[in-house]
Amino acid sequence: MKKTHIAIIIVIAVSIGAIISATGDFSTYVGFTQANEQPGTKYTVIGELDTNQAMNFDPLSSTFSFVAVDKDGKSSRVLYNQPKPQDFERSEEITMKGYAKDDVFVAEEILMKCPSKYNETNKLEGYETY
Amino acid sequence: MEYLSEHLIPGQLGRFFVSLAFAAAIISAFANLFYLFNKQEQYKKVARASFIVHAISIFSIVGMLFFLMSSHYFEYDYIWKHSSLDLPTRYIFSAFWEGQEGSFILWMFWHAILGLILMYTSKKLEATAMFVFALVQAFLVSMILGIYVGDLGIGSSPFVLMRNARENIGLPWTFVADYLEKFPVFMDGSGLNPLLQNYWMTIHPPTLFLGFASALPPFALAIAGLVSRDYSSWIKPTIPWAYFSVMIFGTGILMGGAWAYEALSFGGFWAWDPVENSSLVPWLTMVGAAHLLIIKRNSKSGLRSAYFMMILTFILVLYSTFLTRSGILGDSSVHSFVDLGLSGQLLVYLLFFTIAAFGLFFYHIPKMKKSASEEELSSKEFWMFIGSLVLLISAFHIIMVTSTPVYNTILGPDIMLSLNGGDLAPPPDPISTYQEYQLPFSIILTLLIAITQFLSFKKTTKKFFTKRLYSTLAVSIILTGLMATIYKFWLQPGYLSLLFAGIFATCSNVSYWLIAGKGKLQFSGSSIAHIGFAFVMVGALIANGKQEIVSNTTVQLSDELPSNENAVLYLNDTTDLYQYNAVWTGTRDSSLGIQYYDVDYYDTTSGKKEKLFTLEPYIQKSEEMGTSANPSTKHYWNKDVYTHVVYSSLLETKSEDGYGNEMEVRMEKGDTAIYQRHFVVLDSIKVNATFQDNSDQIEKLRIEVKLVLINVLGEEYIARPVYYIEGENAGFEDAYLEIQKFKFRLAGIDTDEPDSKKLVIKAFSEITEERDFIIMKAIIFPLINLLWLGCILMAIGTGIAIWQRIKAN
Repeated sequence: MKKTHIAIIIVIAVSIGAIISATGDFSTYVGFTQANEQPGTKYTVIGELDTNQAMNFDPLSSTFSFVAVDKDGKSSRVLYNQPKPQDFERSEEITMKGYAKDDVFVAEEILMKCPSKYNETNKLEGYETY
Repeated sequence: MEYLSEHLIPGQLGRFFVSLAFAAAIISAFANLFYLFNKQEQYKKVARASFIVHAISIFSIVGMLFFLMSSHYFEYDYIWKHSSLDLPTRYIFSAFWEGQEGSFILWMFWHAILGLILMYTSKKLEATAMFVFALVQAFLVSMILGIYVGDLGIGSSPFVLMRNARENIGLPWTFVADYLEKFPVFMDGSGLNPLLQNYWMTIHPPTLFLGFASALPPFALAIAGLVSRDYSSWIKPTIPWAYFSVMIFGTGILMGGAWAYEALSFGGFWAWDPVENSSLVPWLTMVGAAHLLIIKRNSKSGLRSAYFMMILTFILVLYSTFLTRSGILGDSSVHSFVDLGLSGQLLVYLLFFTIAAFGLFFYHIPKMKKSASEEELSSKEFWMFIGSLVLLISAFHIIMVTSTPVYNTILGPDIMLSLNGGDLAPPPDPISTYQEYQLPFSIILTLLIAITQFLSFKKTTKKFFTKRLYSTLAVSIILTGLMATIYKFWLQPGYLSLLFAGIFATCSNVSYWLIAGKGKLQFSGSSIAHIGFAFVMVGALIANGKQEIVSNTTVQLSDELPSNENAVLYLNDTTDLYQYNAVWTGTRDSSLGIQYYDVDYYDTTSGKKEKLFTLEPYIQKSEEMGTSANPSTKHYWNKDVYTHVVYSSLLETKSEDGYGNEMEVRMEKGDTAIYQRHFVVLDSIKVNATFQDNSDQIEKLRIEVKLVLINVLGEEYIARPVYYIEGENAGFEDAYLEIQKFKFRLAGIDTDEPDSKKLVIKAFSEITEERDFIIMKAIIFPLINLLWLGCILMAIGTGIAIWQRIKAN
């Protein structure tokens, strides 16, 4: 067998190894119910801000808390140890990465989707009035 | 119906050139194909002529779109969406390629130029190479055709009129002949996204798209090599193209990194965002492919791998286009394009070239002569080959993780549920995941760059190998020891290895160039480029691995919560940031909704308390993007102090009477909401309406709601906010609750849903915090300049190498 073949076999082996070990790094999109069943395990939850519940932001400790409703309709209080993202009220969808702890969800990272983030989604205003 | 004030001719011309470009590309492809089969000169002439027509059409499309944009013809959808009257002329380029259609045109524009060059330089390989080229262009032009076959849309045209745009068809205003004069909304465009009004947006996309485009000539030549059956014939002409691609593509990607670092608040230069990754991956394989070409040129091996990598690179460019433009990354990336409904077309494009190119490759593999001789372990080509494979694995890992949303889409939610318990999400902490995996690859790669400088092609004699090795190793070890002590790397074996590898690679390339190459310019290209790569590695390692977040505060809520990385700065108050004191002295407003925050930095280490510098991070408010923070950075030669405002109390909505914390609810009678530990019940609604005489037109309307507040003790309070309309005017009478310091407003009737009986109620509470403050993040990036210097050296070195190669050819 040639050395290049051995090298290629090693490459394939490393790639398979990478696939197997990397699948362990992926998280799963879940709801709050599942996240609560496994406290401490990191999950990604997609939900919406519950605007009927109070948001609270304490600038000194820069903790922000709010209530989010996941896609199954389950709501949970979310703690975020970062300043309140600007325009948070405007968000349509919130992606929260974090874990459940004592019935709250501790988000380590939050991504928001805002309406009309891109020009393309802008609606023409004014024609309705006609 | 005759519409007034429209300028239809430029758009029709534009569409004509799109059709012509499409037809000419197809004719050129077929003519090349015919020439391949029967070698008649007239086919070649037709092929060339039609490609020239195609190129001219592409240039005309560019010209037409520019003309429309600079003439502010807002009846065109693309112009209305991407520009406006007040757009400064210098940003017209940015507006041009802000949308999908414009960036496709930019890509085709570069293809047309590169195609013309390739046509006149590729000699024997011309027919097949230009066949591939024309075919790729035909596919790309189809992306901007904008025609409908039944319900199936093919492409999205930048020359479509607003009233003909799909989303507007059938709307009432499209039946108004003088709509352009009647509705103010059409008199000005919606404008270029303010965040993109900067010089990065002017230079980054054209460079990156030239990079994308530069992957096509080597691919076309590779296919030509296969078809010609003279399997090595493509190697020599492809080398300059491949290195051109390495240079431009690399520059484009790093420019993106520089943009992110200088102008976006990523807090770094590389965020492993899917969009960044999908352009990095084809660059990695292109570097691998380019080196395999060198191996093949200097020895007998590496031919099949060179074909494989080159084809793979182009397929990855297409895959990257698919990822970023199909909308599939929606949930996982902050800056992918919106879906224009082209994903099906993009998929066809991707699958066609993948199957055709790899099919051809595997068909021809058995016909290629195998090199009989065994590679020498001491040969340079063997270790270069290993390096290319490492690049391949590295690319494989990145694209595998980036493709997470694709697996969800392909397998569907049901299969994902049984396999995984739900859709796969990208790793919760992508940056550390990628870095953990990519670190070993980068160490091996950098070490290979170092070692191969002591090897020669075919076989290395012991004398040649050891001649410069020991002295170089000694210098490298001393330098590594020095750097490791300054930047405290001794306890991190992984980082220390990369530091050593980078320094060793630098020293060995210097020694190769000065001693083996005798310092001659013609040998400098590869050495400079390799030194550049080593600098990028070391620079990224130190800047990233040894960054100090000086805004780190000690406030910690629990052991599990990460410590807070942000500092609070009250106006004109001093805040400690480790070796600095920072004072926020005020704000300045500027155009485009920009508000600057001046932050003075003082030195605390010298004891003199002198002001060192002022940073001006800013927050930009725009209707399209909401608010976004832009950093400001103080550059020293050996470190950067980077700052961005994360939160500003000035931006919270405050009413003039000192009430804030606004919350909006939609309620109908009997509904309950919760506001700051109180139940709010909409108890009853009282409506008074007076109508105009003899009509059902409302003259006066007065709505009063009774809200019952119940606190935790069960005590009840009443608030009665009012909403009224008198003729043209609408207004509110807010209800105040003195004890709770609440204010309620009946803001109107819910019009979002038809037949809704809901009312919009806003609750406010008095803001006791009177002092303005900002929360900001400050990071020191040590030695980041080494990274940028490395980028520049890589580009220069590669440039020299290409120039030498062209001269030699």
